[in-house]
Amino acid sequence: MEIRYDWKLSRVVDGDENVLDQLEWQSSHSVNSLVDRLSDLQSGRLTPEARTLRDRFPNAVPNPLGAISDANWPELSKEESERLSHASLILAKRGVANAVTEPDRRLDMLSSASTELRSSWTTQESRAVEWAGLFLPDLDLDEKRAVIPSCIAESDNISQAAVELGSSIPEHMPTDSEWAAMNSQARGVISLSERLALNEQATRELATSHVPTLSSLIGPLGAARMVVLAGGRERLARMPSGSLQVLGASGAMAAHRRGAPPPKHSPVLFSMPLVSRSPRWVRGKIARFLAGKCSIAVRIDHFGGQTWDEEQIKSIHAQAEEIRDKFPKPKKRG
Amino acid sequence: MPRKPVSLGWGVRREGRTLWSRNSTRGKSVGSERRKRDGKIEWRRWDPFRSKVAAALLMTSQKASELIPSPGDTCLYLGASSGTTVSHIHDMVCGSNNHHNGQIIAVEISPRMMRDLSSLAEDRPGLIPILNDARETRSYAPVMREKAHWIHQDLSIADQAENFISIATSTLKNGGIGLLSLKAASERQFEGDDQTRFLRAEKLIEESELELIEMIDISQYQEQHVIFFVRLL
Repeated sequence: MEIRYDWKLSRVVDGDENVLDQLEWQSSHSVNSLVDRLSDLQSGRLTPEARTLRDRFPNAVPNPLGAISDANWPELSKEESERLSHASLILAKRGVANAVTEPDRRLDMLSSASTELRSSWTTQESRAVEWAGLFLPDLDLDEKRAVIPSCIAESDNISQAAVELGSSIPEHMPTDSEWAAMNSQARGVISLSERLALNEQATRELATSHVPTLSSLIGPLGAARMVVLAGGRERLARMPSGSLQVLGASGAMAAHRRGAPPPKHSPVLFSMPLVSRSPRWVRGKIARFLAGKCSIAVRIDHFGGQTWDEEQIKSIHAQAEEIRDKFPKPKKRG
Repeated sequence: MPRKPVSLGWGVRREGRTLWSRNSTRGKSVGSERRKRDGKIEWRRWDPFRSKVAAALLMTSQKASELIPSPGDTCLYLGASSGTTVSHIHDMVCGSNNHHNGQIIAVEISPRMMRDLSSLAEDRPGLIPILNDARETRSYAPVMREKAHWIHQDLSIADQAENFISIATSTLKNGGIGLLSLKAASERQFEGDDQTRFLRAEKLIEESELELIEMIDISQYQEQHVIFFVRLL
């Protein structure tokens, strides 16, 4: 005995194909109620009629493929087909509109934009600095690096910039158009810095609310990056911690498959001072330990556990430092 | 020299190495494909570099007309993407204003792709877009009006062959046609080169209730792709 149903009609059919009971939805209802009904079906739920029949016949098993397999299933009228098409379209559009309610997608936009901004900032900033260095030969590029783009951007000509930067007036001047290009390059760097700051602020806020425990463990930007690399919080939560440890190190993993040694940590974990500031021979151990903790943290966040407080985070960081202190010297080769 | 068109079925024809479908939204292209008039009828170029079904039609050693659905059929398209291929299937199965009374269920999981697909569906009655995981038959079976005459699965997921077999055997009519686009790169979890991966899928299909008619190599148009052309016995 089974319940066969489509969006409109539900039937209880016994083993000999006898219809024991049936309920039909009165399709005179509004389009919106049909859309809600289709939405329920698409989430794998039964229609209200099928649920009623299940209550009437507790032994009947609902079969979603039953209706299309039934040769005696009534055909739709042309009008019903059109209503179905119309409602499906509305539902699909609703789904497209609802994509924005998924924090994973918003985090992806923010975090990916951050990555792109940062990479273009790096190239453009170093170009601006090198450009200034070419015209101002006695400028200390390392010491003044942080202020070079803003000084160039805010000056009207190279001599003024030289004065601002405490350098001697250059012997060879850029042409007017060359200066204009150089100046606009520097302004671009400044605006990129501002955009990056805005972006990272928004990423931090979203990550702190979406993955609070992971954010307090490895920082909100790293946490956001991890979620994005995994393709969503749920997928991250379901990953083994070994995958978390190398998440994003896809190049190194590919090399590992061809025989290179396995990567010790992902770029995300390496960006943590606990890993990158530790001696090379303990980085793998610390990364492995932290990856294990990250995996617990994201599961807490995803499956609704109790967020770790500051004490717990501190004790984890202390444990990582213990690992570092336990191995003051590299392992002897032999 | 223009070649004489060969009809492959209602609303689709071949001229030399190019394919055309009878445009059901006259004056409108779906992407940037060419349109041309032949008398009162407008034809839309069906690009084998953008559509795997078109590539299969050109590469098959069987009669190409066997691969495509007929007007008024019920079709299931899994992994509809932005709807390039779906639009051509719609041209031949539904026609303008769905005067053939066909039904195409187009399932796509990505909201980004669904954006394009749903605007396509606005002009094309009979095309039912569904934003869902194509592996969950229970989410779309209740809107199918009957079992499908024709199925195409074009997903980039693991276990494509297993999925296809289970979906095709439960939702195809007896004698219904199934096309499975298999991309070797999506089967990375299995050992070996592309060929062994294709052979693995072939073996799975042969052990199932599906009859494998042809393995169509479309690598000329789409890298590392093979289309399995099957029929449910």
